[in-house]
Amino acid sequence: MLSAHDGWKNNSPGDGESDGRRLPAPDAVGNETAALAAENEPMPRLLLIEDDKETADEIRAELGDRGFDVSWAADGIEGLDKARSGGADAMIVDRLLPGMDGLTVIETLRGEGIRTPVLVLSALGAVDERVRGLRSGGDDYLTKPFATVELVARIEALLRRPAESPDTVLRVGPLELDLIKRTAKRGERTIELLPREFRLLEYMMCRKDQMLTRAMLLEEVWNYKFVPQTNLVDVHMGRLRHKVDEPNELPMITNVRGVGFILRAPA
Amino acid sequence: MSAASGSSSVRLPDFARTTTFGSTLAIASAFVLCTVLLFGFVYWQTAAYLTSSIDALITGELQIFAAEPPERWLAHINERLDNDPRRIRIAGLFGADGHRIAGNLESLPGGLTPDVPADAVVVRVDNQGRETEKVRLATERLPDGEVLAIGRNNDEIAGIANIVRRALMLGLLPAFGLAVVIGLVLSLRARNRLLEVNRRIQRIVAGDLRERLPTRKGNDPFDQLAVSVNRVLGEIEALIQEIAGVGNDIAHDLRTPLTRVRVRLERGRARATTLDELRGVVDQSIAGLDQSLTVITALLRIAEIEHSRRLEGFSQVELAPLVREVGELYEPIAEDKHVSLQVEAADEATVQGDRDLLFEAVANLVDNAVKFTPKGGRVGLALLRRNGESVVRISDTGPGIPEIEREAVTKRFYRSDKSRNTEGLGLGLSLVGAIVKLHGLRFTIADGPGCTAEIAFPQVN
Repeated sequence: MLSAHDGWKNNSPGDGESDGRRLPAPDAVGNETAALAAENEPMPRLLLIEDDKETADEIRAELGDRGFDVSWAADGIEGLDKARSGGADAMIVDRLLPGMDGLTVIETLRGEGIRTPVLVLSALGAVDERVRGLRSGGDDYLTKPFATVELVARIEALLRRPAESPDTVLRVGPLELDLIKRTAKRGERTIELLPREFRLLEYMMCRKDQMLTRAMLLEEVWNYKFVPQTNLVDVHMGRLRHKVDEPNELPMITNVRGVGFILRAPA
Repeated sequence: MSAASGSSSVRLPDFARTTTFGSTLAIASAFVLCTVLLFGFVYWQTAAYLTSSIDALITGELQIFAAEPPERWLAHINERLDNDPRRIRIAGLFGADGHRIAGNLESLPGGLTPDVPADAVVVRVDNQGRETEKVRLATERLPDGEVLAIGRNNDEIAGIANIVRRALMLGLLPAFGLAVVIGLVLSLRARNRLLEVNRRIQRIVAGDLRERLPTRKGNDPFDQLAVSVNRVLGEIEALIQEIAGVGNDIAHDLRTPLTRVRVRLERGRARATTLDELRGVVDQSIAGLDQSLTVITALLRIAEIEHSRRLEGFSQVELAPLVREVGELYEPIAEDKHVSLQVEAADEATVQGDRDLLFEAVANLVDNAVKFTPKGGRVGLALLRRNGESVVRISDTGPGIPEIEREAVTKRFYRSDKSRNTEGLGLGLSLVGAIVKLHGLRFTIADGPGCTAEIAFPQVN
């Protein structure tokens, strides 16, 4: 699994200030997919409920390339049927659907006790819609149009949601975070963290080896409901990385240019 | 007329159907009725007075007669009648069997009660001939059975009735005519005015939003109404123009990056010779598209804030922690840019509001300040109290915002946000404006060393 992520184009630690959002080179993505397939894990199954065939085809092709088994429903009622019959590890539901509204589909499923994680897709407005989507039982919300890497990162995050753990000490490789004492250590070295840096590291350690996009970090760590004009995430992440990865140590936080960040134990 | 009278399709002239004309007619009729009643009363009172005077006269004479000895009667009657140049006196002496003994009364009319004056129609005979006339007459039966009748012509009363009738005619008809004419003129004027208003409204409905209702110098309710309606029309026109302006702004904001993307793609397609070159072009194009999407997101966000009715979702927000949090968030960014960010949050104010939005507003201002302040400059973020208000002040040593654009960004954010033309300023200030407006706060941009932006919170606890 780790090798899969070697495909992400790594940047040197000083590369924190991203100059814009760019997709990773396609070959990098391809490598990861190949690696996933090679490991012979069961393919995660997704249910996509999306009325626009062209969009649906694109999403299916893209996710198919990345090792997902995607089935498709073109309207809310069909989608509800497929969701009830089970089998999907996660669902992608468009907000506006013919027949039955996307939110109604989710509410119905939740009412029936079906807890499959749902990513809501919408071309509708920003914050209020997002709140509505999450309130009706969605687990994440993505506004159209979106970068494919963003979609993939969020689906992986949904599939690998951290279980509620009773542990009060998080560990990733040599990194140790004590949630009670609010201290961080890498090996024997103590790391001094500001409150927000602590929260950021905690979030990342709960989701080690996962691609975390800037938007996800903004929403989850900073609890931001807006996109700041400045590269806030990069600057704060740069600081954290500076503290976690000292020059003589193997880097644990990787900046995937234009996409986001991954924390993993040094190889 | 007789043919039409049974039909309901009788068409009155247009003016006769107007409300004004109808009320004029009603008022004129009421006026006529009152006048007729008044004149009738005057006539009735006058006639009663005259009748009672005549009655007093004739009963008086009867008594004088009765007091005289019978041998004087004939002489008295003749004397009385001779001494009557206006020929208004009536007198007669009749025998017990009813034959005339003396006087100018041809016969005694029947149905008279002795001593009670009454109206009677009698025939007068004298040297000028014989004529029938209406009189007031009283009789008295004398001791020896003869009947004495004394009367007086009461043509005077008829004369007065005539005078009253003529006065009524002379006064009433012109007055009524005048009322009708005035009603006609007023209703025609009102009708013309309404027609004009209606015409203009039709034009407004047809889309001519610059049209206004006619007003006169006067201050009658109609004018007041027209002025109010015109004010409403002005508001509508401004709003429509604003929407058009918003449309133009959006078009401009979106077309600029999209045009760049298009040109880039065309050039890339024509010129790129290697896959890497083509990828470079595509990467740049995606960045351009992302820029357009950012604009759309920001515009939607502004619209969302402007149209939200969040007031019920407001809660108590402590400003000092909020300001410190923004400072903490931007401190590393300022440091990276070698700009010093000084945060002072001394005031312990609590305000009513949406914390996320207020945070967004302050963060946007700090974001701008840090972005536009050159290396080595200073950005100040302060929460202070001034004249009972809490003020969040963001000052910087950047280039500032030119006066003209400052007006534009503080006034009508969404519409005339000229600041969008300033490279990189983005829609941030428009967002701040929308948030400030939603909270009913005051936002000002002033000169500092660079630029000083202030959000003033009135009514703080």
